[in-house]
Amino acid sequence: RSRSHPGARALTGSVSDPAGGAPGSSRVFVVRRDQDIYIQTLRKLFNESHGIFMGLQRSEEELAGKSRKAQLVQVSKNYRSVIRACMEDMHQAAVSTRDPALQGQYSTQVSILSAMELIWNLCEILFVEAAAAGPLLLRLLDWVRLHVCDVDSMVREVLSSESPSKHKLFWNVVDVFVLQGRMDEARHLLSKEATANPTSMNMYKILDDLMKKMPMPSLGNTQTLTELELKWQHWHEECQRFLQDGTFASNPHMESICKILLGDEDAILEKKELMTTWYHFLVTRLLYSHPTVKPMELRFYAQSSMDLFLGGESSPEPLDMILMAAFEFEMHQVIKECSIVLSNWWFVAHLTDLLDHCKLLQSHNLYFGSNMREFLLLEYASGLFSHHSLWQLGVDYFDHCPEYGRVYLELHIERIPLNTEQKALKVLRICEQRQMHEQVRSVCKIMAMKALRNNRLGSALSWSIRAKDAAFATLISDRFLKDYCERGCFSDLDLIDNLGPSMLLSDRLTFLGKYREFHRLYGEKRFAEAARLLLTLMTAHIAPCSFWMTLLTDALPLLEQKEIIFSAEQTYELMRCLEDLTAGNVDKQKFQEDDVETTKVEMLRLALARNLARVIVKEGTVEGS
Amino acid sequence: QVSVINTVDTSHEDMIHDAQMDYYGTRLATCSSDRSVKIFDVRNGGQILIADLRGHEGPVWQVAWAHPMYGNILASCSYDRKVIIWKEENGPWEKTYEYTGHDSSVNSVCWAPHDYGLILACGSSDGAISLLSYTGDGQWEVKKISNAHTIGCNAVSWAPAVVPGSLIEQPSGQKPNYVKRFASGGCDNLVKIWKEEDSQWKEEQKLEAHSDWVRDVAWAPSIGLPTSTIASCSQDGRVFIWTCDDASGSSWSPKLLHKFNDVVWHVSWSITANILAVSGGDNKVTLWKESVDGLWACISDVNKGQGGVSAVTEGQQNEQ
Repeated sequence: RSRSHPGARALTGSVSDPAGGAPGSSRVFVVRRDQDIYIQTLRKLFNESHGIFMGLQRSEEELAGKSRKAQLVQVSKNYRSVIRACMEDMHQAAVSTRDPALQGQYSTQVSILSAMELIWNLCEILFVEAAAAGPLLLRLLDWVRLHVCDVDSMVREVLSSESPSKHKLFWNVVDVFVLQGRMDEARHLLSKEATANPTSMNMYKILDDLMKKMPMPSLGNTQTLTELELKWQHWHEECQRFLQDGTFASNPHMESICKILLGDEDAILEKKELMTTWYHFLVTRLLYSHPTVKPMELRFYAQSSMDLFLGGESSPEPLDMILMAAFEFEMHQVIKECSIVLSNWWFVAHLTDLLDHCKLLQSHNLYFGSNMREFLLLEYASGLFSHHSLWQLGVDYFDHCPEYGRVYLELHIERIPLNTEQKALKVLRICEQRQMHEQVRSVCKIMAMKALRNNRLGSALSWSIRAKDAAFATLISDRFLKDYCERGCFSDLDLIDNLGPSMLLSDRLTFLGKYREFHRLYGEKRFAEAARLLLTLMTAHIAPCSFWMTLLTDALPLLEQKEIIFSAEQTYELMRCLEDLTAGNVDKQKFQEDDVETTKVEMLRLALARNLARVIVKEGTVEGS
Repeated sequence: QVSVINTVDTSHEDMIHDAQMDYYGTRLATCSSDRSVKIFDVRNGGQILIADLRGHEGPVWQVAWAHPMYGNILASCSYDRKVIIWKEENGPWEKTYEYTGHDSSVNSVCWAPHDYGLILACGSSDGAISLLSYTGDGQWEVKKISNAHTIGCNAVSWAPAVVPGSLIEQPSGQKPNYVKRFASGGCDNLVKIWKEEDSQWKEEQKLEAHSDWVRDVAWAPSIGLPTSTIASCSQDGRVFIWTCDDASGSSWSPKLLHKFNDVVWHVSWSITANILAVSGGDNKVTLWKESVDGLWACISDVNKGQGGVSAVTEGQQNEQ
């Protein structure tokens, strides 16, 4: 692991020109993929889609058939509304900024989001809802109406003018309505024209009637496809008759509308600029020639529509290819193309996950045996981990990748910088919830080391206890004791007092705890208990040899007390300890040369002897005599 | 798509040989022919010089960060035959240990997985590889593998501390028995795999495929699959991906990633080992990923800097 890090960035060292060696040419470039997570306005997209994603994972799988489908469609709509909300924000940002570079960036983002919503919407219709022949056309009409907005301003302009029928773009707007199947609106406009030009009243009435009677698929089950087809056939023939009779001959606009109603491709193609895209052309064609089109038939019409519309003048763009793949029901192709074109994994990860829940994706065996859904989610979540707060979303995504999610999480979560205690606790909680013991230990060790470096011994100790790191706990306890020897008091008393069973983690720690207890007992004037404890600390070898001198020195005040605290036996023990200490001292020479030390030893010997004398007398005395 | 997000002006007076991000991507260590090692704080796209470490008497070839649980520790190796371990304790960065046991330039240093303790492998032009293990209280124990590569050793890389196959078979709760392994690349055109057995280091495998000096080796991190993977690159312009499918580590097979037009200096894996970064004398850094059919495809190209690109590392950087 030594030279690999979370794969979000790469460094390149640049070699300065050896001949020149000019200062400033010795630069290191830091490069990064997945820039998008740092765009502030997309933050909402990531956060809210995370919520939808989680809801989907937890949703009831038991719901079958129609209700499940309705649920999935709702999820899809939720995702789309989040995209739209983000688009709005982005648009606002673009409008309100004065920095042209930023404005450009925002505008680009808006068009990307718009394209994403366009694709998602189509996928929703074709894959998630899997609209059948009949409703399919209605959905596609809605789709076109929602997304082809280039003509909106023109429409508004005409409608809001004083007398629309006199506006030079009047017929364009009528055509737009007809092309989009907005019959009522078309008829309404036409009526204005009729009142303005009474001479064409006759023609108008017939056209209006035809438009009113046009059979359309319905969403409910009020008619079968066969019924619709029959009705439509009759209506089509009626239109044909009127056209051939020359009813509209004197008004080229109305004639062209009639031709459109008849599904005449050339007539429709003439209005290319009003449709702006080949998929609009496709839907219009379908509306007026094959309203009962079946999903599987779409591909043929789509291909020919694109060819006719582009007419060899321009070649299809990536967006066109993606939509085409969707019309051809090539889901994998859609995902693949989107992955190539888009700059981050957000879109494909969430869409694929949804499609997977619709049980539409066969598992596609990739290199590491994982399936496409998981692959994309892993990529997306990995990208989130280099962000200082979005990484938390990434955790949830990894949780829902059954094969590699856990191990990816283990690898990534260790790389979250633990700059605050809060963050460390957050990371810890996540690891503990998932029983990632290695990571828990690792985080605790890192925090303990950090605390130690900053001389926060109490914090270091509690982290090493949490990590169950005996060696480190011993090290820190030693530091505490050293501090005590130097300063005569303990820091972080609360912590040491409340160690409880974790005291047993290391011998040194136990000693620290017990030693502190000794001080407490002394402070509470429970001298007998304190004395007993002190002795136990030495005789049971809980105290390290290096500390015995300090302990014995602590015993001094107890020996000097008016009342006798140490019994004879205890005093003998103490004396033995002292002798052990002075005899076994390696650095005997130094010991003997150090005045302070020798004085201490002498004082101790004196105090012990005095105590012994007193206690022998006391113990030998019969009470009350 | 890869874009440049930050340019750190290191003010090194000569060629930069290595640049390494720390574990979290918040600090950058660079080393240069000007004999210095510099450490920068690169959070939030900034660059603040934290330390300018002097101690080497020749060009410094590589730097390596130890795992943060041991504190802030950085190792550097140099043409002056020394390996220096620097530590940041209570303020300034200081030299905490200096190893002078090599007879020639030390070319590569690499810290072992933290699970094994604090161990540093060093590869030298005298053909030997030394392993420095921290035993406590400022003491380091040294083990040397002499004549690891004839003429010289150019790169060392540790295997991850994962028991192969542990993703499939869940290991029991006890501490697993790790077998320490690392790979080295040398002037004998070979990649060698070393294994520790009874506290001795033995040569386990010899991987032959390059026709010129091996410049870098990188053992891929593991996600617990039974496959082990090593990337190696050479003066001959080739990058090979070696894979071993069985847990015993006995049969390695090479696959050619690509033949470049110039010497390839460095290879480095991303954390989950699905992306390999390659840099070379053709002044490019490329990112590679394995596709469905087992072929490696270049997913990105970063063209920057004058002269050759000498160091590449996949790092993480967090905005804080």
